[in-house]
Amino acid sequence: MQHAFNPYTENGGTILAIAGADFTVIAGDTRQSEGYSIQTRYAPKVFKLCHGQGVLAVNGFAADGNMFVKKVKQRLEWYRHAHAKDMPIRSIAPRRFFPYYVYNILGGIEEDGRSSIHPVRGVYSFDPVGSYEREACRAAGAAQALVQPFLDNQIYFKNQTPAPGTVFPQHLPLSTVLEIVIDSFTGATERHIEVGDGLEMYVVLSKNSNALQGLRADAHSFQEVTSTADGERVFVIRRDLKKD
Amino acid sequence: MSIMDHNGGSVIAMVGKDCVAIAADMRLGNQALGISSNFQRVFPVTDRIFVGLPGLASDVATLHERFRYRVNMYTIKEGREIEPETFAHLVSSTLYEHRFGPYFIEPVMAGISKTPTGKTKPFIAATDLIGCLNFAKDFVVAGTASTKLYGVAEGLWEPDLEPEDLFETISQTMLNAVDRDAFSGWGAVVHVITKDKVITRALKGRMD
Repeated sequence: MQHAFNPYTENGGTILAIAGADFTVIAGDTRQSEGYSIQTRYAPKVFKLCHGQGVLAVNGFAADGNMFVKKVKQRLEWYRHAHAKDMPIRSIAPRRFFPYYVYNILGGIEEDGRSSIHPVRGVYSFDPVGSYEREACRAAGAAQALVQPFLDNQIYFKNQTPAPGTVFPQHLPLSTVLEIVIDSFTGATERHIEVGDGLEMYVVLSKNSNALQGLRADAHSFQEVTSTADGERVFVIRRDLKKD
Repeated sequence: MSIMDHNGGSVIAMVGKDCVAIAADMRLGNQALGISSNFQRVFPVTDRIFVGLPGLASDVATLHERFRYRVNMYTIKEGREIEPETFAHLVSSTLYEHRFGPYFIEPVMAGISKTPTGKTKPFIAATDLIGCLNFAKDFVVAGTASTKLYGVAEGLWEPDLEPEDLFETISQTMLNAVDRDAFSGWGAVVHVITKDKVITRALKGRMD
């Protein structure tokens, strides 16, 4: 029997991002596993990129994921020094034939060239070799199959018809979206062994957003991690998930 | 590709307040080619028990006939109708008889059982293809869309749903799960079983 070095492994976990009218939520569980073992109960998968470049969630092979984030941050910094302005994220060079084995979701950035009256909101999901698409919501990782159809039903109202004389809301409020994210992860934790331990949600609010007003201060413990002064604010909300 | 994925199809059963529901899609395929959008994979066993048979279509037909034979023999010998829990064990032993050459089916059962005091109790169960029983309290899923069914059911189910609400919940679970599965869909049917009647409805869903 020939044994070769397998350069990849799967570290489990799940990530999820949802774009609202004036906010984006990017979330990931914090468990890192290999097979039936848990490597750590807290390994962040969601990272804030500098200078308002959004929030990047990575999932798949953790070593590649961490290196990828490092490389992205380096490239952003190089660009900033070279061009005296921030890099518009459109694509980071994929390694086509020895890819970073990570599924990425990028959220919290606004389309260039649009006014703040009608900003285009979405999350960008990538496959390991850089194919990408802008969507209103996307789940990736071990529990993608469990979470994505639930999101189809709750965010896009698929297979639902509105009550006569009403329409479904075009955009959901932040409190509803956070509840959907938490329910998605508690559901995934119940039925998938690689999901659990903890949940980290990054909320990116665009300028002049009052999405926070609707939230009860005691219900969610925020930590502000805003780093720019241009009006965009970033918060982190942490929750426990079942540890079994 | 796995033999269990050859024809496609998925089934789910859920518990409500003094009622159960069982739902299945209607697709029969030959790998990626869809053949029939009217394939029945949920069958009545008695007035109060239904069994869903997702998996290889040929075994669906065979097992349906085997169970019908065994249940009829039970009724004749016992002089009474079989109870859901007993039927579940009958399914389990039938499958384990073929432990090393199994039927490629993962049955899902739903019914209303009678307690010794005369009250009725909702009942669901599922087995794997060699008869390992699972008596869940909330819902059971099987088929090519099983992971998707788990995800949506976990999000939408709550205990003690009335029959009308259980119907809505199980329908939304089925429709949204199979819409993410290429091998399931092409129509769906739902049976809601209560103490005195069964209501069967066909769902209107995406036919792609």
